[in-house]
Amino acid sequence: MEPKALFDGHPLHKLLPVIAGIALAIAAALDLKTSAQAYDLDSNNCLACHSSPSLSKQNGQGSVSLFVSANELTASAHRYLDCTSCHTDKPHQVQTPLTKQSLAQKCGTCHAYEYKLHLTSIHGQKLSNGNSDVATCTDCHSTDSNPHSVVRVLEPTASTYPKNIAQTCAKCHNNPQLMSKYGIVEKVYESYMRSFHGKAMKLASDKLAVELLNKATCTNCHGTHDIMEVNDPGAPVAGMANLAKTCEQCHPGAGVTFASGFLGHKEANPSFLPPVYWGERFFYIFTRAVLAVGGLMVSFEIGRWGVGHIAARIRRSREQDD
Amino acid sequence: MTAQQASSDVQRVTAGYILRFDVHQRIQHILMFSSFIILAVTGLPLKFSDNAVSQWWIAVWGGIDNTRMIHRVAGLVMAADFLYHISYIFISMVLLKRPFPLKMMPNLNDFRDFIQDLKYTFGLSKEKAKFDRFSYREKFDYWAVGWGLAMMVGGGLILMFPVTAANHLPNWVVPAALVAHSDEAILAVGWIVIVHMFFAHLSPSIFPFNKSIFTGTVPLAKYKEEHPLEYDRILAKAGMESDRKEERPAAMEVVASEQP
Repeated sequence: MEPKALFDGHPLHKLLPVIAGIALAIAAALDLKTSAQAYDLDSNNCLACHSSPSLSKQNGQGSVSLFVSANELTASAHRYLDCTSCHTDKPHQVQTPLTKQSLAQKCGTCHAYEYKLHLTSIHGQKLSNGNSDVATCTDCHSTDSNPHSVVRVLEPTASTYPKNIAQTCAKCHNNPQLMSKYGIVEKVYESYMRSFHGKAMKLASDKLAVELLNKATCTNCHGTHDIMEVNDPGAPVAGMANLAKTCEQCHPGAGVTFASGFLGHKEANPSFLPPVYWGERFFYIFTRAVLAVGGLMVSFEIGRWGVGHIAARIRRSREQDD
Repeated sequence: MTAQQASSDVQRVTAGYILRFDVHQRIQHILMFSSFIILAVTGLPLKFSDNAVSQWWIAVWGGIDNTRMIHRVAGLVMAADFLYHISYIFISMVLLKRPFPLKMMPNLNDFRDFIQDLKYTFGLSKEKAKFDRFSYREKFDYWAVGWGLAMMVGGGLILMFPVTAANHLPNWVVPAALVAHSDEAILAVGWIVIVHMFFAHLSPSIFPFNKSIFTGTVPLAKYKEEHPLEYDRILAKAGMESDRKEERPAAMEVVASEQP
């Protein structure tokens, strides 16, 4: 049967424009509905007081802000959770409902799998030992370590969006005082941004779809919730065999030679990849020396021409005087 | 020098012009500078990735992945141009039995010319250096491109196939290739912008533009000024030939009468 014949004799044929019109109207109505301002869930009206920026309380250390930004909440991933889901049914009867130590456990009541992984990570282990330097959920999942501003992982504004991950890790890992406390001497953020991976990420468009933003950043090599110390034998970057496997995720066929030629966060020096170090020294001097000679050649030519020009002019004016 | 060469040299002169670059050399230069410009504008943002201009410029080219692809295609064009030049020399010597291009080889005279130019610059001599077919600056440019191509094409191919390179070469080769490719690029762009552009465009005797690499020809009067040694030799040959064959090229008449 010809495809045309299917519609030609059908009674609905004449109604097609009408149906299309109705569909369009419904679509427009839906669009209006979704484009209206969405509000967070606040059944207990907590924001009546807590949306005031000046709201604070006094504790032993001084003033603590109790302000919760309604704007941030509206955009947050958890906008449909009531405040009491995290802050208990009677938030005013507990001293500090959530602290750095108790936060991860609270998130873990829903995000059980991630919490379990976090407990095994270097961050989670230290946290369990009472260390409050290390990262907990909100330190990575919010730009300002604020539980109220956690947005979904793959939103372009999220601190966990691939393009923003290096800056998120840098909040702690680019702090020399904090890092020296844990014996991390490499400037991990700067060296990443100097590397091919960092440059590709930096130059990638902000509007690039996440599946095209396939450049390695911190978490691609080091892991996320179960992140380990780099020297931990289980770490994806510990030892050349593990590192090679990590490289192979993006560079098929990469072996141990490939991995051992990767500078990582280090710089070449006379004992680490010496040919690279001496190559850098050579080109540093060579480039400058050759360009200096070129610059001199040009300035000699200009200088000699200028002097000749001026001399000729003086000679002419003297001849005129005579 | 054979009689055949002598006559071919004289054939380079037509209607007040002398042929300096044949059609292959002109095409090679066009391929070289067009691929060079594309490589520079698509490669430099990577070197200066922190700069906001780089980020804007990469977006103009349609993102980092497009830019990378364009850079690689331009790199292959430059590599092909290099092979074109090598086969051109090979065919010219082996099949057409032309002599080895000795005029492009550096020699002691280039050093003397350089010293002579230095003396002229500082007023110790009233004479500029007299050049044959290629001046020391032109020879330097030529051989610098040779060295640069080895660094850029060699390094570029290693960076394009890092896994293959690492599987066949020592581990330091890939990071060293990155150093060489990146630093040599700055050197090449710097040299072209500062030196080549000056002597091809801005130099007072050239300004605004030395067309000879595109037209292939140079006016005889200009050639006499820039390459006096070769000019004199061709003129002498032309005279010699006309004595023997009694057919002095008409184009030479004008020039010969200009001689003091």
